[in-house]
Amino acid sequence: MNKGAITLQDVSVTYRTPVCETNAVSGMSFTLEQGGRLGIIGESGSGKTTTSLAIMGLLGKYADVSGQIFYNDIDIQAITDARRDDFRWKKIAIVFQNSLDILNPVLTVREQIIECIDRHMHFSKDKAAARMAELLNEVGLDPKWAESYPNQLSGGMRQRVLIAMALSCDPEVLIVDEPTTALDAIAKSEIIGLIDRLQKEKNFSLIVSSHEMSTIQKLTDQTMVMYLGNVVEYGKTEDVIFSPTHPYTRGLINSSTQINSFRDLWGIPQEDVPYNSIGCPFRSRCSQCIDMCAKVKPQLKECGECHAVACNRGGVVKVMEGCGISKDFYVKGRKVAACRNVDICIRSGEVVALIGESGSGKTTLANILCGMLEKDGGEVVYEGEKLRGFAATRRQGGVQITFQDSFSSINEHFTIFQAIEEPLKLLKIGTPEERLEMVTQVLRDVQLPSDECFYLKKCFMLSGGQRQRVAIARSLVMKPKLLIADEISSMLDPSTQANILRLLKGLQNSKGFSMLYITHDLSLARKIADRVYIMKNGEIIEEGSALSVFQHPNSEYTKRLLMCADL
Amino acid sequence: MRIFRKRIPEYLITLFAIITLNFFIPRIMPGDPFTFVSSEENSVSTVYTDEEVARLKAYYGLDKPLPEQYLNYLGNTLRGDFGYSIYFNDTVLNLVGGRIVYTLPIAISSLLLSCLLGCLIGCMSAYKRSGIFDRVSYALITIFSQIPSFLIGVFFLFFLAGKLGWFPLSGAMKAFATYESGFEKLRDILYHAFLPVLTLTLAHIGEFYLLSRNSMISVLSKDYIVTARAKGLLKKRVLYVHALKNAMLPIITRLCMSLGTIFGGAVLIENVFNYPGLGTLMRQAITYRDYTLIQGIFLFFAFTVLVMNMIADIIYGKLDPRVEL
Repeated sequence: MNKGAITLQDVSVTYRTPVCETNAVSGMSFTLEQGGRLGIIGESGSGKTTTSLAIMGLLGKYADVSGQIFYNDIDIQAITDARRDDFRWKKIAIVFQNSLDILNPVLTVREQIIECIDRHMHFSKDKAAARMAELLNEVGLDPKWAESYPNQLSGGMRQRVLIAMALSCDPEVLIVDEPTTALDAIAKSEIIGLIDRLQKEKNFSLIVSSHEMSTIQKLTDQTMVMYLGNVVEYGKTEDVIFSPTHPYTRGLINSSTQINSFRDLWGIPQEDVPYNSIGCPFRSRCSQCIDMCAKVKPQLKECGECHAVACNRGGVVKVMEGCGISKDFYVKGRKVAACRNVDICIRSGEVVALIGESGSGKTTLANILCGMLEKDGGEVVYEGEKLRGFAATRRQGGVQITFQDSFSSINEHFTIFQAIEEPLKLLKIGTPEERLEMVTQVLRDVQLPSDECFYLKKCFMLSGGQRQRVAIARSLVMKPKLLIADEISSMLDPSTQANILRLLKGLQNSKGFSMLYITHDLSLARKIADRVYIMKNGEIIEEGSALSVFQHPNSEYTKRLLMCADL
Repeated sequence: MRIFRKRIPEYLITLFAIITLNFFIPRIMPGDPFTFVSSEENSVSTVYTDEEVARLKAYYGLDKPLPEQYLNYLGNTLRGDFGYSIYFNDTVLNLVGGRIVYTLPIAISSLLLSCLLGCLIGCMSAYKRSGIFDRVSYALITIFSQIPSFLIGVFFLFFLAGKLGWFPLSGAMKAFATYESGFEKLRDILYHAFLPVLTLTLAHIGEFYLLSRNSMISVLSKDYIVTARAKGLLKKRVLYVHALKNAMLPIITRLCMSLGTIFGGAVLIENVFNYPGLGTLMRQAITYRDYTLIQGIFLFFAFTVLVMNMIADIIYGKLDPRVEL
């Protein structure tokens, strides 16, 4: 039998008050082996603390707990509170989230540590005092602080006291709740180092709940992602952080400054709807939500080795995938390979940067992907169907492309309205009034005036930045799921470029479309991209998450690129 | 101790204000001591001639202008001379001293009793909040604490002492009794004190009950109680060390502050039971406009309340490490 193993089987916790019922945790299952390190991550209110309290058997009378929670073979739910008291703290201890009131304000540190030892260890007075001093030393706190009251300690010191207190009876399982909130950077890294070291020395099982990705990354091997009380993703911490499968996990990582140190921060669009356990809890904030998500609640399903995700679409879906694409051009009889066996994949809601010098085949690839150019070999799959011709571009909710040169991509004798309305008109979408409404809406989206005297202007009257916005508006009016942006900002001045990019990223974040951003500008790619493809001479020579490519490039070419760009 | 350096001046200023008020209040009241000086209560008053009144006023210094009287009074008070009772023909110090031995024990014992009982029931109520015990005791005690204490006293006097004859009707000891032993004397004193103490205790139990119940409820919902429970500590340690030590803070303050109000209560109750304490003395002093005696008794009450405040401050500082004195 394993010592210090925690097993949860289909645990749900509901808080009942006379006015409402709240599902704090629903259907949670996991097993933590002895010495295992499990992380629970989620925004506030996702049920992390409730889970910890449920394991400790500390939920009050307003909480209904169903399912089973095992410590070794003991069903914690089934035994009396008095019996639970015998192994609370002695076997399972908890480091609560640091707050001023978490330690008793009228008892000294010594009293609060010694009482645990007295209760569970039955040491002599001297031995207990010695043990307490040893504990304080272990957590890096001078034993002279033992005589202080909690209000005399700093936040970091209080955290250390909490850890010392939790370790006082050598527990087999340690639950750590938000160990780093409200700590400064130095204290934070010290506390994380401390917990990490103590866990390795004492080999207790560790459950860390936190909303900080970096804490979870450093302290755990397995990670569970929670959203509104539901586990939405589970897997090895590394997999969860570097290849997140659930759109929510990806959103969390994108919001983490530690993991995402270069990019602009974009939180998950905030549109929580009251969740009543029908359908997917995340659907209101999800970029790839389909009709089914409102009716069927997704269950955790394997999506890789030790990696499971609860998503009706099996995690972040691939919007477009290109396999083995090749294309040759013949220039004066000489064969130029613009694309050589290129594999590319764009998933829902992400920004993929395709980086390469001019002539590396980026634009050729983009044109093939959207169907404007016939490929010589390979295939392009859009939302599960093989693409032929303009199938993906000539529909709403398809693929749209915006070109580098907005002066030539828009007929300058069209009025702005005509230019934007044209695709709708060609596809006979909507009545003229509806089309007018759609055009003015999309003009507002790209932050251009939407009044008559503006949209009846001819396009040649616009500046470069305005034209590019009109071009983007023309793409957006088709409500694309994938927007291919081919060097859209390279002809603009830096300020206009920044404005256009922020606009585009903001629209992408709120509307949830995916974007293939083609550029030769590395610093720009680093700011906006989730994933990166590096292309050279028609080949993809490196791909990966933006973080790994920019921090640990593999190919010589990428390293050279980064060096030249001073990154 | 720092408290003495910081707080003593504050207390001295308060004391000065009290002494001043104490001087003026009896003199603002209508009437003067010589109207009643030679008459018994409830009997026809004999009236002094104007010459006699003038002579007596001169004798007690009451003919001098108010500022001069005030300065004299201040000086005497500071010297520990609280004056001479016009009506009782004795020093105020002696009179108050003679009565305090009756009032203080019933006041303090009923205060401690009501605090102890109130807190005990209050804590149990809070711990089993919304349970049967809580609901019943909450309802009973809130209703009960609305009844004025002298009514309760009259009720007890009427039934327990008058109708059933279980307790004496008045006094602190059996009149003209001789005792064979000290123990027997003590028994008689306790026997006489029982009803006044019971009445005062019941009158004050409500405030301690409500206070300790509220205080305990708010303490029990604090994070450190969850911490204590997580430690697997025994229930009694969680309740009596972790919770009560925090919940006690406002109770201790109230306990010390209550001594003032319980004196006020004692004044009424002593009159109901005709108990020879400060209360009855005070009523007499007021009836006879015995300025010096009224001043002496008021001063004594005020001084006691002040001292209790100071004690509350000190205890609070000792109990709560967050309070900087």
